[in-house]
Amino acid sequence: MKESVLRYKKAFILLLFLIVISPIFGVILANLLGYHEPLDIAAELLGLNETTEEINWTPFLDYSVPGLPPEVGYIVSGLLGALVVLLLGYIVIKLRK
Amino acid sequence: MHIPDGYLDPYICVATYLVAVIVVILSFRKIKDLSVDKLTLIPVLAAAIFVAQMLNWPLPGGTSLHFVGAALAAILVGPWGGSIVLTLVLLVQALVFHDGGITTLGANILNMGIVAVWTGWLIYKYVPNKRLATFLAGWLSITFAGIVAGLELGLSKQLSQQFLYGLSITIPVMGGWHAVLGIIEGIITMGVYMYLTNKYPGLVSG
Repeated sequence: MKESVLRYKKAFILLLFLIVISPIFGVILANLLGYHEPLDIAAELLGLNETTEEINWTPFLDYSVPGLPPEVGYIVSGLLGALVVLLLGYIVIKLRK
Repeated sequence: MHIPDGYLDPYICVATYLVAVIVVILSFRKIKDLSVDKLTLIPVLAAAIFVAQMLNWPLPGGTSLHFVGAALAAILVGPWGGSIVLTLVLLVQALVFHDGGITTLGANILNMGIVAVWTGWLIYKYVPNKRLATFLAGWLSITFAGIVAGLELGLSKQLSQQFLYGLSITIPVMGGWHAVLGIIEGIITMGVYMYLTNKYPGLVSG
């Protein structure tokens, strides 16, 4: 794992940069212009109801962190999520090597 | 394109979970054949796609989307590896951030981790001009994944007792919008591919 982290050092630096700027896209612009996916349009037309808020198990809902402003929460979520994905990925390849 | 909890009926949830579980197990077996280089790329690529998916493109007054990365993953680590990459991303998004539901995780893996990955892979493999191929792979991967998501939504909601009424709404809406927004996915996929071929040709070959 250490070897791989060193090998992809540049990629990780780029990812850190993207995580730091991610609130511009995921929070600020999304609030300013509205985030509305085609899926939301289809669901509205059909009258489908989302149950995400009623049945929720995670404190990090929608990439937020309790007690932190949304922009900072988004960055912390980005770091946390990327680390968990990375860790799971290394477990998968460890099992396959 | 993450379907939240509540949108799909139980039959569609079970059916999509079944397909997703079978393909993910198969993919997990198949990635054993990947070279060590490709295998070690899987965690890094998954983390990169997770981050890229956080960068939404909200378009003024209209509809938004974010990069999915399925075609790019398929191009870089093959279709089996690509399915594993997207499954890792979707799993963490659903479990840690509730982005995409838990009952709909099977459907989301099917749409983005299987349909989009394999569409991207087949186009990349069979279109001879690789630059064009990567654009088409990105674009059509999103379009097809959108259509399949529309199929799942449409089949889940039967309005006014009219058979397949839901589909007459969801297929055009999902297919149409994703065909338009998917062009951005195509451009990004092509851009990243061209950058990597220039800078790190070893990553893209084979």
